Amino acid sequence: MYFISGTFILFLAVSVFLYYIVPARLKWVVLLAAGAVFYLSGGLASGLYLLFTAAATFISAIILDKLNEIKAEIPKSDKELQEKNKRQKKTVVTVCLILNFGMLFMLKYLGFSLDAIGNLLGKELSAPNLVMPLGVSFFIFQSIGYVIDVYRAKYRADRNFFKYLLFVSFFPLMIQGPISRHDKLASQLTAPHIFDADNLKNGIQRMLWGYFKKMVIADRAAVVVTTFFADHDSYGGAVAAFAVIMYCINLYCDFSGGIDITIGAARLFGITLEENFRRPIFSTSLAEYWRRWHITLGGWMRDYVFYPLSLSKGFGKIGKWARGKFGGKVGKILPTAMATFIVYFIIGIWHGASFRFIAYGFMNGAIITSSLLLAGTYSKLREKLRIDQSSIGWQIFSMIRTCLIVFIGRYITRSPNLTVGFELIGRTLNPFTFNFGEILSGTLLSLGLTSGDFAIIAVSCAAMLAVEYYCEYHGQLNDVLSKKNAFVQWLPLAAIMLAILLFGIMRGSYISSEFIYKQY
Amino acid sequence: MTSKKWLIMFASTVVLFAVMLAGFNILTDPFGVFGDPIFDWTSYNATNNPRTAKISYLDKNHEKYDSYIIGCSSTSSFPVDAFNEIFDAKFYNLIMYGADMLDCEDMAKYVIENYEVKNIVLNVYLDNGIFFGDEPNEYTHSMLPRVDGSGFFDTVSFYTRFAFANPSYGIAKIKAKSSDTYLAQSFDVFDEKTGAYDKKKRDAEPIRNLADYYSAYPVFLYYPEHSGYSLPKTKECMDSVERIVRLCEESGVELTVVTAPVYADYIEYFDINDVINFYSSLAEVTDFWDFSYSSVSFEPRYFYDSTHFRNAVGYMAAARMGENSAYSDSFAEIIFEENGLEASTTAYIPDDFGYYVTAENANEYFASYANASAASYIDISKKVPVLMYHHISETQEGAGIITPEVFEDHIKALADNGYTAISFSDLYAYVNCSGSLPAKPIVITFDDGYTSNYEYAYPILEKYGMCSTIFVIGSAFGCDTYKDTGVEMLPHFGPNETIEMVKSGLIDIQSHTFDMHQSVSLEKTQAREHMAQLDGESEDDYISAIRSDINQSIVQLEDITDETVYVLAYPQGYYNDLVQTVLSEAGIKITLSTDWGVSTLIRGLPQSLFAMKRLSAGNGTDGEALITMIEGFTLN
Amino acid sequence: MENNRKKLISILSDVCPDVDFENETALVDDGLIESLDIVAIVTEIMAEFDVEITVDDLLPDNFNSADALLAMIEEKMN
Repeated sequence: MYFISGTFILFLAVSVFLYYIVPARLKWVVLLAAGAVFYLSGGLASGLYLLFTAAATFISAIILDKLNEIKAEIPKSDKELQEKNKRQKKTVVTVCLILNFGMLFMLKYLGFSLDAIGNLLGKELSAPNLVMPLGVSFFIFQSIGYVIDVYRAKYRADRNFFKYLLFVSFFPLMIQGPISRHDKLASQLTAPHIFDADNLKNGIQRMLWGYFKKMVIADRAAVVVTTFFADHDSYGGAVAAFAVIMYCINLYCDFSGGIDITIGAARLFGITLEENFRRPIFSTSLAEYWRRWHITLGGWMRDYVFYPLSLSKGFGKIGKWARGKFGGKVGKILPTAMATFIVYFIIGIWHGASFRFIAYGFMNGAIITSSLLLAGTYSKLREKLRIDQSSIGWQIFSMIRTCLIVFIGRYITRSPNLTVGFELIGRTLNPFTFNFGEILSGTLLSLGLTSGDFAIIAVSCAAMLAVEYYCEYHGQLNDVLSKKNAFVQWLPLAAIMLAILLFGIMRGSYISSEFIYKQY
Repeated sequence: MTSKKWLIMFASTVVLFAVMLAGFNILTDPFGVFGDPIFDWTSYNATNNPRTAKISYLDKNHEKYDSYIIGCSSTSSFPVDAFNEIFDAKFYNLIMYGADMLDCEDMAKYVIENYEVKNIVLNVYLDNGIFFGDEPNEYTHSMLPRVDGSGFFDTVSFYTRFAFANPSYGIAKIKAKSSDTYLAQSFDVFDEKTGAYDKKKRDAEPIRNLADYYSAYPVFLYYPEHSGYSLPKTKECMDSVERIVRLCEESGVELTVVTAPVYADYIEYFDINDVINFYSSLAEVTDFWDFSYSSVSFEPRYFYDSTHFRNAVGYMAAARMGENSAYSDSFAEIIFEENGLEASTTAYIPDDFGYYVTAENANEYFASYANASAASYIDISKKVPVLMYHHISETQEGAGIITPEVFEDHIKALADNGYTAISFSDLYAYVNCSGSLPAKPIVITFDDGYTSNYEYAYPILEKYGMCSTIFVIGSAFGCDTYKDTGVEMLPHFGPNETIEMVKSGLIDIQSHTFDMHQSVSLEKTQAREHMAQLDGESEDDYISAIRSDINQSIVQLEDITDETVYVLAYPQGYYNDLVQTVLSEAGIKITLSTDWGVSTLIRGLPQSLFAMKRLSAGNGTDGEALITMIEGFTLN
Repeated sequence: MENNRKKLISILSDVCPDVDFENETALVDDGLIESLDIVAIVTEIMAEFDVEITVDDLLPDNFNSADALLAMIEEKMN
């Protein structure tokens, strides 16, 4: 039961209806039950993984909470007891991490690892065939964040397993996040929200916008991408570039559209989720791009990987050593740079178990780290060239530069393997294989879409960009719209609904791809 | 605007679009669920979903029928017209692609309870042992609620589903309407009146030797070597058949169970013991006509693909079933008498094809079931060379012109080498009936109907006792100037010569069209050189042009010869599926092309008489060379 | 006291020269300093003030203004 189905809409409508008619103390139970229905529609086995994670993290958090209580009573002078308490906490959190990431590793990376090891040993090793549960990375990351927060005594542990289970299994989050924080979400989930027309309106608007992006744009662009990569050797570099652009469009519209649906659906219950995208196209640097793209994953990485790593004792030592060795700027930045590198490496692996995602993480890490290390040189260069960093020209240049970097990276993530990725980049950059003529000679129409489809993609993307531009520089569009008269409000509503109906739902001959991020 | 008002606006818009969508789906009704108020296009709807569309059609038209053939897609080739004759009934073929036995049971029950039913022919196919009670697609494979006895909620969900179906189905139907053609396309594969697949097109395609067939139907070359298919639903299937048997008994309906021929490669996917178990389980439930496994199963040209046998094979099955009734080929009776042929007019049926299995003989029958094997090549096919001549002249030279001397040399060589000239009625008898062919048959033909044929060829043929067929252009018949112009041309013989030659019993006069062999330079408007569609001609005009031309030709020739016209030589050898179809409908059984070579006749396949290949030889080829040329084709 | 504050402002300005640390009170919330800056600031503070700042201290509340940072540092120093 994924988002793009009549069943999901019906399921959601029934859930919302039930949520508002049951007594206040039962409202959260409706959400939990809906989650169970949603999750179990994907099979019993995958429900068990979720229950396992929920139970493991729930118990760990309670033990940690107890240890925190004990810690508060230990006198500051008693170093020995404090150390012991610290060790105990570390043991608990380590066991919990191993259990959960072990499960994630088994599900997602075992096959890849065994393949790689097998290749090294020259043997064929095969992993058992396991059911990949829905959104497994998302619920594991979310629960681990909770356990670490309790470990850090940021807040108390949840005492009610079922309320906690709701935090792990809230169904709009199930497919692709956003990875939410316990302190921001849990209380909202269990609070009895009363019916509020504003929430319903905003939720519906947000969902429509998501369906528009996903069904009208993303699923169309996906056709080109699939067709191209099924036979990537038959095209020149220009068509390759076009297909990768389509892939960028597809990925953004698919993922952010799915998040729009998620956020809108949660809003129907009066629950506000964290944003996961902030118009990444307007990023002026790769680092900023990663703060605007999949924000909650970035935030998770920052809080639970980047900070602990860069502030760890080991990194501190490296920092000291580097200062001594290189002095000044480089010495200061080196530990940060290393931590950054590791974070992007992990983000790369998180996207998929394969060398091309590792390379992708490597590339992001390398670019961001080098920009850190070279920041001084760059600013001197800018001074020499008399470039004003705040000028519009420079901003636009930076945005385009960032888009190009992301675009090159997508060659690697979408290609079937690393070699093909590099080969395609080469084909695009080499003027002899670029073959622009193919674009003019109608090769694009052999990629599975008609010229009408391309027109729909172009017009829809233009509309999306216009809306995003408005939101980036002027604020929420729907706030402005709601002050206009009824007809002016109805027009975009009817237009977007018609677009979804005619250009989205009606594309029956194309198989509606499942959410690309579903299994991440 | 307040949020509440916005929500009301949103809800109204949803309702508005929902009503528009449902309205569109109901009006276009691409699955024939809502009575198809605008198009009334059963063959299209049935292609989308035969279960719904056929019942919608029958609910309005069931008075036209009193008997039904029920089963999955292989049922299509059981011929309605032959069954009508055998059972003296009016059959409708209720084939449903992908049908399992539960679908058949629901259908049988529905027609018996709602219509007047005399006979039901039920096809039990091997696939019915694989699936039972599945509905692989909720649009294309679902049953009308009134047929499968759905409850209230299922009924509501059924109509809701179709009302809110993807509108592209309806749009596709509108588009299809504008590109509809006489021959079936992929969107309207059913024949509305018979209910069977409309195989006009595929049954118009000539069938030749195996190599040609494989290149037309490459699927036969690529059937993978599977094994390990099983028949897990055999019991469910047979229980269902048993309920149908009982229902028919209780309702006084005559039930005949048949088992469709299965292609040998397909049977090999299964364990043969499972297959035997499947059919012998059927024997425990009812007596039935078994056609499943015989020499027919081994001949790819008897199949469209591995799970669908040809219509022609359906006629052989019907002939077997009708042996004891008065089923025979009435057309054969006429032409055999005209040609003094003493062949039996009963239809050709391979000896091992079709067996009536009863509880008593089942054990014995299934003991040797696995022994089925391919018929030998000689048993079912024969290469028959057809020679093509045009004008004969002592002085003129040119393509297709031969001197009387060389011609006589040809005929003499044929006679000396043991060739027997045969007529097209012999070919017909061999392919469709129980006729036989001489060891070395030869067919001699002349195109256009020149006077020289009468002057030179006729006496030579008479001398050697060889028969031949002359294809006459109706508009040039008896003329030595081009019609309406006075421009001189080679003289063509007329009625007197015709009567004389026909009376001899050696010469057969057949059609070369009435006026579809025009001269480009002498026509004032666009000339019809051959039977192709003219530039800018609509399909309807084209079809009626062919129809009126062939009818004119038949009437003209039959008036003079008093014999049936059933063979046509395509002018310039041009043919296509549509022409072949229209000619078949007009009663033309055999057509000749100018494709170079020797055709292979296959018993039981009338299509092997379509667009037959021919050989020709001019002054450069003497009798001996001619024999070498012929043997080059026939001996390989 | 004043000395500490001056030292801190100098560290901060060194890391992010474009930000007005004297008056801003929403450094993290408004996105004026990012995680990379925070780590740079923290490592500098640890070196200069000889205090231990752990991950647990990395809350937006502690970093939103120079004064909040100072308060945290001084608490650690005691």
